Amino acid sequence: MSQEDPGRVTALLQKWRDGDVQALEDVVPLVYQELRRLAHHHLRSERAGSSLQSTALVHEAYLRLVGAQPAALNDRNHFIAVASRLMRQILVDYARARGATKRAGGNRIELEVVQDLPIANDAQLIALNDALEELCKLDERQGKIVEMKFFGGLSAPEISEILGLSRATVDREWATARVWLHRQMNRS
Amino acid sequence: MADSHWERVKELLHRALQLAPHERARFLDESCAGEDTVRKEVESLLSADRNLPEGFLDSPPLAPAAEDVASMALAADQIIAQRFRLVRKLGEGGMGQVWLAEQLAPVRRSVALKLIRAGMYDEAVVHRFRAERQSLAIMDHPTIAKVFDAGTTPQGQPYFVMEYVPGQPITTYCDERRLGINARIELLVQACEGVQHAHQKAIIHRDLKPANVLVVEVDGKPVPRIIDFGLAKASSADAAEPAALTRMGHFLGTPGFMSPEQFDPEVRDVDSRADVYALGAILYLLLTGSLPFEKRGPLRQPLHEFLRRIREDEPPMPSAKLAAERDTATAEAEARGTQVNQLIGTLRGDLDWITMKALERERTRRYATPSELAADLRRYLAHEPVTARPDATAYRLRKYLRRHRVGVAVAAGALLLLAAFSILQAIELRRTTQERDRANHERDRATRIADFVVNMFRVADPRGNRGSTTTVQEVLDRASAGAAAGLDKDPEVQADILFVMGHVYDNLGLYAKGAALLGTAHDLRQHALGPNNAKTIEAQTEVGWNLFRQHRYPEAEALLRRSVAEGRSALGPNDLITVAAMDDLGITLTEDKQLTEAESLQRQVVDIYTRTLGLQERETVKAMADLAAVFMHQKKVTQAESLYRRVLDLDRQNHAQEYPDVQIAENNLAQLLSDSGRNAEAEKLYRRSVEITQRVLGPEHPETLAAINDLANALSDEKQYTESEALNRQVLEIRRRLYGPNAPVTEGSVYNLACLAALTGRKDEALSLLREAVEHGYPADPAEVESDDDLKSVNDDPRFKQIVADARQRTAASP
Repeated sequence: MSQEDPGRVTALLQKWRDGDVQALEDVVPLVYQELRRLAHHHLRSERAGSSLQSTALVHEAYLRLVGAQPAALNDRNHFIAVASRLMRQILVDYARARGATKRAGGNRIELEVVQDLPIANDAQLIALNDALEELCKLDERQGKIVEMKFFGGLSAPEISEILGLSRATVDREWATARVWLHRQMNRS
Repeated sequence: MADSHWERVKELLHRALQLAPHERARFLDESCAGEDTVRKEVESLLSADRNLPEGFLDSPPLAPAAEDVASMALAADQIIAQRFRLVRKLGEGGMGQVWLAEQLAPVRRSVALKLIRAGMYDEAVVHRFRAERQSLAIMDHPTIAKVFDAGTTPQGQPYFVMEYVPGQPITTYCDERRLGINARIELLVQACEGVQHAHQKAIIHRDLKPANVLVVEVDGKPVPRIIDFGLAKASSADAAEPAALTRMGHFLGTPGFMSPEQFDPEVRDVDSRADVYALGAILYLLLTGSLPFEKRGPLRQPLHEFLRRIREDEPPMPSAKLAAERDTATAEAEARGTQVNQLIGTLRGDLDWITMKALERERTRRYATPSELAADLRRYLAHEPVTARPDATAYRLRKYLRRHRVGVAVAAGALLLLAAFSILQAIELRRTTQERDRANHERDRATRIADFVVNMFRVADPRGNRGSTTTVQEVLDRASAGAAAGLDKDPEVQADILFVMGHVYDNLGLYAKGAALLGTAHDLRQHALGPNNAKTIEAQTEVGWNLFRQHRYPEAEALLRRSVAEGRSALGPNDLITVAAMDDLGITLTEDKQLTEAESLQRQVVDIYTRTLGLQERETVKAMADLAAVFMHQKKVTQAESLYRRVLDLDRQNHAQEYPDVQIAENNLAQLLSDSGRNAEAEKLYRRSVEITQRVLGPEHPETLAAINDLANALSDEKQYTESEALNRQVLEIRRRLYGPNAPVTEGSVYNLACLAALTGRKDEALSLLREAVEHGYPADPAEVESDDDLKSVNDDPRFKQIVADARQRTAASP
């Protein structure tokens, strides 16, 4: 995919930024597929001590999809915003699948993949995901910030640029979200 | 909670968090007077903050992959569990590390020590293993490495102690020594025996793969040794759950060796046939160098796609896989001490069938035990017929028929078909007679068919009558009478014979006779075998195809649709008979201008053939040409052209340029090119077509003459009138001799010459030739003469108008 149309993702991202909602829908499957592919690729390489982080994956996906095309920094950030959301989805899916296999022998297909994914703690990840969902209901913007920072590895300045917020606001949102999420996770 | 409430909470919380804990209460007293609910919420959150773990959410969710293993920090000379001295690391994987170690007590020996990644497995694993140790201990076979013990270190590190096998994975061993196919098979046969032994002790491996089938040399001879027996089950998460391979990810390595049922959540009783599958996968790898669904090179597919294909798709046969990868398989062939084409030839047939049977998705269709697989492999080595072999006569015949079906209706083709058929039967007969104790029904049948065909040829010696339609027809007429009378004791044989002959009639263009025989064959089979039998459906398809050739499209369509539906439900969507019916239906729909459905069908056909037969088979390539024909009808010129070119490329690769249907594809492409004004390219194709037909069919064959005619027309379009005229004269001369001076086909050449004369300004000659052609009925429709641009220069001549008027009158007068 990446070989075929590096320009396509860029174009879609630009359209999306210009207000074309459909463009986002079009870009999501491309990014998702690439992220999954990368995750597999990395995890199968069994390099000892290979440190694999979701953020690294997201950045690599960006490079592969958008390629060496000269793209505005903005595009990159938007891409990463989208990818963060997907990374969250992928990781949670994995964690769920692993949980399912433990309980009911459910989804064994994902198993091989899942076993290799060194997520520290499935239950925690799922709990975090649920808490984050609650948070998004309460405060969507704050939820988005968490998603970008935690799953996408975006820095506060990057997030402030994407969302058009001040640095201070992003810091405040992040600090309070952490606390809220922690409480929420321990409640359920 | 209202937005404003939350915003207020956030603000206060944020400010409170900046303060030291002991200052927070006072801050809240000052800031939220009268805001009780806000204050309560903030306090609750502040208390959550006090319990916030260090670095909560600070780092991204994926931790370094090898942390656990790295944290083991193992080194040589280290003593594990007080009695194993580590010597050197043998390997490392997702599950942990394997070390060569020296056991110090109670016996001194070298062992392989498998240290499981900390945290992955709890002590329950070790307990379960101990429980199973009893059964493991009773395994005693030279090809099975022993598992001695399991335990945990004082630090809680689980480990397994196994016999140390200083060998190489079976695939590596074979490749490095460039072992040929037979030597590889011999090794796998031994491995099968070991697995069989374990199965008899009720132990299933569940994770057989090359890395677990090592080869060591004993007295200079290679012997396979299987490691890790019993580990899979011992390590499963839940002993109560028989199919619990749930936590086995790290043991599994690559999933290509896992049977489909091991992925299937519905299947709870993974049994010994899972090991048969794995052995089949290893066999596949030994033969071809890759797994069925594995892609070579940089374009590796996503794992989930790979797994989906294992569960849902029919694997390509080993020979087909190699043929499809012909260009990149040189190294694989060399590692087997041979060349690609030779290797493909070796695999095709028996080894294809054996591998496919071991890899059946449905385990009931697999070999029931490893020793059955081993027995079939031994039969292969001994040149005996293998049990995996399907009904070979029918299969080959079917293939042969399909190959020649779209062939031009020519006598040579028919003779070739019959000759090949008898040769095929003779080979089959010899094969089967060699096999004394094999079931005899088939043999009898083969004998009877062979005798029958041989007698047919005794009646009329084909050598004296090459290319003569009448003679072949006479042979057939006589033979079909004989078939009806002499073979009625065995309706199945009778049906087979009638089927072949009906087919030959069709190829001769004698559709009415063909229809009668095929119809009878269909009836006989329906009675003898039932409606859902493969052969019955096959005959029905052939009847439909016959109708198509008679241009009775709606009837053909109805019958072919039935064949497709019945084939899909009774034989499966990928069965060759089903797909053949789909192909026929697609062609029928194309001719009947139902192009959308035709395209979809032909795409499916191409896809299935490509997967199951590979690109070297005629069926696959022919189906591509059929799809290209759909494109042509749809006026998708670019697509049609590129697909035709691919077809011709493949034909070249497959050395199949000489088949009649290739000629058709070539001709269509040439036509496509000249239609779009690319005459020079078209000319090249036409020239090749002429060259091939002359060589293969002979200089006077009707197809050859048609090819020369096409070339002449293309040359005329390019204004190369001299050569065009010479070719037309050559054709005319032969046709006059063969078909008589006034046959319509002969007059076609005369007409062409008339055009050429008109184009080169020889008006009188043009008009006299034109009169001759038209008076003898060419072209059938006088309007064509009027609208022919080539004749423009004589259009205004009164003689021209007279010729057309006369022709009109004649057409009106004839019924």
